[in-house]
Amino acid sequence: MSATQTWAPQVAVTVIAEVREGRERALEGLLHSMGDGVSNERVIAFGDLEGVHFARLVLAPPVDPRDASTLILMSDVDGAQDDHLAELAERQGDGIDAVFSHCSGYPDAPAGVPARLAFLRERAVRADTSYVNRPGRTVAQVRDEARLRDAIEIYLDSARPQLETCSALDARAQVQAFVAGDPRLAFAATPAPEPRLGERVRSALDLARLPATLIVLAPLLVVVAGPWIVLLRLHECHDPAPDIRPDPAAVALVAGLEDHLAQNSFTAVGRLKPGPFRRLTSTALLWVADWATPHLFAHADLAGVKTIHFARWVFLDGKSRLVFASNYDGSLETYMGDFIDKVAWGLNAIFSNGVGYPRTNWLFCDGAWNEEAFKHYIHTHQLPAHVWYSAYGNLTNANIEQNAQIRAGLHGRMTATQAERWLELL
Amino acid sequence: MLELEDIQGLVVRGYAHLQAARYVMLGIRDAAAARRFIADTIPTITTAAAAGPGRAAHLALTAAGLTRLELPQPALAGFPPEFTEGMVAPARSRVLGDVGESAPEAWAWGGPATDPIDLLLLLYAQDAGALEELARPIEAAYANGGVAEVHRLDTAAIGDREHFGFRDGISQPIIAGLGRTGPAEHIVRAGEFVLGYQNEYGLLTARPLVPADADPTGVLPVAAATGEHDLGRNGTYLVVRQMQQDAPGFWRFAREAAGAGDPVVLASKMVGRWPSGAPLVAAPDADDPAHAAANGFGYANTDPAGLRCPVGAHVRRANPRDSLDPDPGTAGSIAVNRRHRLLRRGRKYGPAADVAALQSGTGTDDTSDRGLHFICVGANIARQFEFVQRAWVGSPKFATLYDDADPLIGRHAPLGGTFTIPARPVRRRVTGLPQFVTIRGGAYFFLPGIRALHYIGSLES
Repeated sequence: MSATQTWAPQVAVTVIAEVREGRERALEGLLHSMGDGVSNERVIAFGDLEGVHFARLVLAPPVDPRDASTLILMSDVDGAQDDHLAELAERQGDGIDAVFSHCSGYPDAPAGVPARLAFLRERAVRADTSYVNRPGRTVAQVRDEARLRDAIEIYLDSARPQLETCSALDARAQVQAFVAGDPRLAFAATPAPEPRLGERVRSALDLARLPATLIVLAPLLVVVAGPWIVLLRLHECHDPAPDIRPDPAAVALVAGLEDHLAQNSFTAVGRLKPGPFRRLTSTALLWVADWATPHLFAHADLAGVKTIHFARWVFLDGKSRLVFASNYDGSLETYMGDFIDKVAWGLNAIFSNGVGYPRTNWLFCDGAWNEEAFKHYIHTHQLPAHVWYSAYGNLTNANIEQNAQIRAGLHGRMTATQAERWLELL
Repeated sequence: MLELEDIQGLVVRGYAHLQAARYVMLGIRDAAAARRFIADTIPTITTAAAAGPGRAAHLALTAAGLTRLELPQPALAGFPPEFTEGMVAPARSRVLGDVGESAPEAWAWGGPATDPIDLLLLLYAQDAGALEELARPIEAAYANGGVAEVHRLDTAAIGDREHFGFRDGISQPIIAGLGRTGPAEHIVRAGEFVLGYQNEYGLLTARPLVPADADPTGVLPVAAATGEHDLGRNGTYLVVRQMQQDAPGFWRFAREAAGAGDPVVLASKMVGRWPSGAPLVAAPDADDPAHAAANGFGYANTDPAGLRCPVGAHVRRANPRDSLDPDPGTAGSIAVNRRHRLLRRGRKYGPAADVAALQSGTGTDDTSDRGLHFICVGANIARQFEFVQRAWVGSPKFATLYDDADPLIGRHAPLGGTFTIPARPVRRRVTGLPQFVTIRGGAYFFLPGIRALHYIGSLES
């Protein structure tokens, strides 16, 4: 049973820590003991924390083997980043100690809450772009609405003989009465929570961020547009785009961690092509993407891809590397196919700034459309995530959306046709 | 233009007129002698240029077989990982649903507990006698000590209905460039089914290449771009799976679940077509043989909610036609579907069940070993067979489904599967679906072009 539902924003928390020299092996062993693609919750119990949708721990090897590896903690949570970090420090202190004591700068054991929290805060970075499938929908809401759906389905199984001869409107009324009569479904007496006024104002102001910036920068943009296009074409024609076959053992390792739930995690890290052109271009594009996701893609649909729950891009190492992490429905082959079939243009714009990406033209064209070279690029950059937590691993976005519509349809007046459509959701 | 004389004929024909067929799995006992066996067998092999042949023979190889024949390393490395790892790699078994009773450990062939399979012979003739005649000289050639028979799959010509009693094999993709016509949505670029031609992305699918110096006499065609020689061109892959069907169990369940209703209606909802083959979208209320071969239909506009053909029905998920995101009902949706088409070449095995008696519950439970030797042809196993098997057929989350694996061939939770039949005013939910199909064997094969076979047959140690 959950607390009262409220509308709450989701935040992509990222903590980046450098692994101490000589501790990679030990940390790797620890991470392997914490999950086989799905977190076993033994060392850090993400599920015991408030409002965690997804979480993972990954180890990114260095570009130069003489350098340190990077440990990245990523979680998608309801509410504020600082509350989440504080909860980690307070309620999962032993687990945080066990993991992060392998990292440089971690306080000596016993770390104590304040020192632990200071460490996490210091290494927490804001995602350069974050995407939320349905902003505002909390873990509690997702779970409650799934319970609602399950309860109605069981009711329908038994009530079907009586309902069969009903009109759609009468059948809906019966379902409404059933829900109203079950105290465990009391939350459904009201529609899903809406954002408060303050949140709506904040969102409206944020919407103005891009146009305002464009107006301010217009004179500059007019001047740089021409040279930028020339530079882009020069880079595109001369950047090497080798099609490197992935190491089968690495692919098999990742495949062994995948497909345990209805969802999967995807984590990749890649180097940016050297020089300021790619760094500036990717910074600008991610800034635009970060503006666009909550305003243009806030309705369970990222430019045609409906299977992504959360995603983020985060620069690493002073913008010399870029991490992409997502949580999605189905298998990697489906996911890559969706990338190509539906959002190749968007991936091209961002990932073509990375070393080894298939050759693009005019930023948006070709690239991912080179199907196999793109899939090789994905495989060669993917990192294994032994420790991955999902709060509702058996639910696809399609399920979650449908559950939300079921709840919404309990309220208000409907025509007979609307009632028929609503009953089709069940 | 397709180089028909270099392509094995099975790619373009299913040989419906050749009623007798047998698939023979061979193991290599001596590499040099096995290569001689292959070279000697090539004249028997039927090419795609032979129209309506009186008999047909084909030869395919597993990755293990190619390794044993000492194919050069660069060529082996050029095959995709799903082929080189094979069907029974553990992570693959999990996603293909080959677990529990279908786990490879219990397979009759192709699994870890049975003899390794290196080669596959596929033989077709008009009748049993002609099949023996075709097989005899090939079997005699085993005597050189190169290969030995490991397992044999016999087939049964029981008509155009599979063992549950439904007409099968109606919807097939049409390979572009062969001069055949049909609805545009079924015409698929040749590269989806033959290596060396443009696929549905307008690209050449990755294929095994050998360095020029590994083919000094130039048996293989030259891959234009790199100067390497092309072992893959005109070849393709075969997915072979023995799917054992529990016909009495299927109809027992349909009778019980239908209660006072008609078990044939319930079973047809599970299949998505009526026993005659008529699609539920075209004939929603009763079987209509007038639509038996209907294949020019979609789901997005006629039946988006599945009130005629349930979203979870077998044919709707094995080939979703125009119902895929992002824009169901459009050419864009069909274009996505085209990248996941299966060209099916399987045959039934075992005695036909008395389906009428099973439907009425008057038959005895005849539990003979029967089923389908599923075979599909495709240039990209991962994007075609494996994708369809895991994302559409095997996934309880296909489209907007909640927990419905394929009612006919899917794997269900221990307590039984769920099948939702949309209806007005409220859906019907059938629960407790048992397993009707068990996988008894399987492997991935490379079906080389004729020149590639010559090359393999002429390799030296």
